[in-house]
Amino acid sequence: MSNGTAVQSSTKKTKGQKLLQAIGRDWQLYIFILPAVVFYIVFHYLPLYGIQIAFKDYKAVQGITGSAWVGLKHFKTFFSSYLAKQLIVNTLAVNIFNLLWGFPLPVILSLLLNRLPSERFKKFNQTVIYIPHFVSTVVLAGMLYIFLDPNNGIVNKLIAFLGGTPQYFMAESKWFRTVFVASSIWQNTGWNTIIYIAALTGIDQEMYEAAKIDGATILQQIWYIDMPSIIPMAMMMLILNSGQVMAGNMQKTLLLQTSGNKGTSNTIGMYVYSMGLTQGQFSYTAAIGLFQNVVSFLMVITVNTISNKLSSISMF
Amino acid sequence: MAKEKTVRIHKENKVQLTMGDKIFTVINHIIWVLVLFIVLYPLYLIIISSVSDPYAVLNGDVVIVPIDFSLIGYERILHYTTLWRGYLMSIIYTVAATVLGIFLTMLAAYALSNKFPGKGIFNFMIIFTMFFNGGLIPTFLVMKDIGLYNNPLIMILMGAMSVWNTMIARTYMQTSIPRELYEAAEIDGSSHFQYFFKIVIPLSSTIMAVLSVYYAVGKWNDYFTALVYLRNQAFWPMQTVLQKILAALTMSAGDVAEMFQDNYTDVAETLRVSNVVKYCAIIVSTVPVTVLYLLMQQYFEKGVMIGSLKG
Repeated sequence: MSNGTAVQSSTKKTKGQKLLQAIGRDWQLYIFILPAVVFYIVFHYLPLYGIQIAFKDYKAVQGITGSAWVGLKHFKTFFSSYLAKQLIVNTLAVNIFNLLWGFPLPVILSLLLNRLPSERFKKFNQTVIYIPHFVSTVVLAGMLYIFLDPNNGIVNKLIAFLGGTPQYFMAESKWFRTVFVASSIWQNTGWNTIIYIAALTGIDQEMYEAAKIDGATILQQIWYIDMPSIIPMAMMMLILNSGQVMAGNMQKTLLLQTSGNKGTSNTIGMYVYSMGLTQGQFSYTAAIGLFQNVVSFLMVITVNTISNKLSSISMF
Repeated sequence: MAKEKTVRIHKENKVQLTMGDKIFTVINHIIWVLVLFIVLYPLYLIIISSVSDPYAVLNGDVVIVPIDFSLIGYERILHYTTLWRGYLMSIIYTVAATVLGIFLTMLAAYALSNKFPGKGIFNFMIIFTMFFNGGLIPTFLVMKDIGLYNNPLIMILMGAMSVWNTMIARTYMQTSIPRELYEAAEIDGSSHFQYFFKIVIPLSSTIMAVLSVYYAVGKWNDYFTALVYLRNQAFWPMQTVLQKILAALTMSAGDVAEMFQDNYTDVAETLRVSNVVKYCAIIVSTVPVTVLYLLMQQYFEKGVMIGSLKG
């Protein structure tokens, strides 16, 4: 508190002194941020430091720093293995497929929601479409196995009723991506409308009024008023999600993988998990993980730069 | 004022609807009925199956309403102690992690909502972690090195704080708490600490409710952390236990009998009941977060909107 008065009394000070004063005045803010800094150092920056094992031959006895450097050995092994291509293709395929559906659907759904005349129906729908987000991955996977059961799952019952042949959805490679993406749509579309609905709520009602006076149809209002107001948000989402193309949801894949669908469900994340954690090939899988992370990071930077050039919308 | 305006708009709406607009509105309603069906039917199907006769469920006959109402699955699940131990662990982890998460997030968000030397560095340090992380294996080895492997504390500490939530909370403080309040408090000679606890926290109940839902749901639904870090299954949270139950879709009757620690001699009976147990386990595990969401819903809308507006 005495610091506060000291600041006010001083007018002519050098830059360094000003900085010291500011620190003196706001030193408590450093205490506020300290726990977060400690958290991020331990749980994010120490693992970043641990990435070095990708260039080493990790031995438990020698530890992360003590193990011997081997340069790019693990990267070379990976890229010359016959599996690399399949893993990369599988990862890209399921995630691009997921993005192609998962990106536009929430936009469409929020535009439609915004056009429901009844406030109560709107509110009710909003509440309902968020619910699947609260279903855990484990439960989602369990539901998929139950509903897609070849003999008495509801989906195959329906297919049989309509005269089709029952499908082994969980046990065949050709179905994995469809099952993965369709269940993601069910779980995430509603939740992902939040950000767009927030943007739409912020639109000045007088704009609609003016548009109506000019005789604009609903579709014209959506196109000329609603769309421009949510495009910045949509671009932000696209930038954020572009990194997912090479990453994806490994925790879900782990639950949906069966011996039958490995042809398409074996992604980079799955390979890192099984080779790394269950077979203990730490350095090799750390290298693969690093490759994956670098590509994801570059994707985000690239999409951000393109977006910045085209529309001056960017994350950073 | 605002109310008058909307009323007027509604009136004009009625007068001015063109044919095309009417068709649009009808199609929009049809789409929403479909959306509601797609969202709710799978959940409804699980609920009615959980209270139906196991035979009917196994045959796939339960489609519209429960058949031969039966609570045998729930009765059986009561005896499944592993699941309830997991439940208890989940409650402990979720409550502890949520409290810790809100604490860390609110403190950091308050700091970042102010201007101070070095703020940019802290901001960068936090946001960077969103785009680049150590990856599964390096993280695993580092956690092992610092003694968090097979240590239940990892369930509370790992992912205790999220960048996204911090940004939402910061935006909330910047937009919803008037700057003049701080200036007045500063003149009165109160410190950041006093201002934070006396003014900011009481005015942040909405955003704290939202954060608690986010953190609690994330923790409650996490099965993977325990799978990777906790070798001792006694520490496992419910989702990780549940994953084992659900994976048992094709397991042998012997396994089932062993898993449920009962000595039913009738193997077919055990198998048939274990099928319904899955539905019950899904319900029992999902109810707490769903109830939390519905309870917090009113804060939720407000908080999420405010937080994400400038997000």
